[in-house]
Amino acid sequence: MDILKSILTVAASGMQAQGERLKVVSENVANANSTGSAPGEDPYRRKIVSFEEMIDRETGTSGVAVAEVSRDESSFELRYDPSHPAADTDGFVKVSNVNTIIEMANMREASRSYQANLNMFETGRSMRSQLLDLLK
Amino acid sequence: MKLSGMSFFQLASQRMSWLGARQAVISENIANADTPNYRAKEISSFDRMVQARTPTQGLAVTDAQHIQTTASAPAGVRVEADDSAWESALDGNNVVLEQQTIKSAEVAGSYRLAAELYRKGHELLTVAVTGIR
Repeated sequence: MDILKSILTVAASGMQAQGERLKVVSENVANANSTGSAPGEDPYRRKIVSFEEMIDRETGTSGVAVAEVSRDESSFELRYDPSHPAADTDGFVKVSNVNTIIEMANMREASRSYQANLNMFETGRSMRSQLLDLLK
Repeated sequence: MKLSGMSFFQLASQRMSWLGARQAVISENIANADTPNYRAKEISSFDRMVQARTPTQGLAVTDAQHIQTTASAPAGVRVEADDSAWESALDGNNVVLEQQTIKSAEVAGSYRLAAELYRKGHELLTVAVTGIR
């Protein structure tokens, strides 16, 4: 395969992976206040994305892919709120282990990485067009 | 007349394929900037590619199902680990986005230069043959 074309596919795989990461971050932020609805029930558990190198058999180039979306197994905090439907006998409610500040940092990082991949895509495209311009 | 036989055009096109290969490796690095345990890659120098008498070949591919590791790299170019990485993260990844961006801009500029030189050489030939500028 054309090597300049492989730049585009690799950059696209990076953008896709970062997009997936951003999606998971937005799920976490959206569910930051989700609690259970029955007494003692677990609230929303934070999701974590991990990446892995994905080698294209055909071209030998290595892109990136989402390896798995796992759950953050850290413990939940307790909040005193006896009137809540999910409160246990002592009046404590388990709240989600999402930390919105960490999610924000994660979001910024994902968006910067996305930008870097997009720049790479642009550069690859302009190199390709310079090559094609030689035909003019 | 064979353009590739003239040293100028041969050099320019070799340079362009080397820069293409380098840019492809940089794009792999950037795509894997957040992959745990990924080590940044770099390709062997242009000098080595030009001086290589016999192009270095990877594993022989005798079956369609064999992994073709060197399929994307032009002859004489070897992909190796990047020893010049500025820093390494806790998860074992040593890709620094800033460093890769600088490299990528450098490669894009050189590519442009090589492409323009190729074009100039071609124009020069045109002038020599037709006498029309």
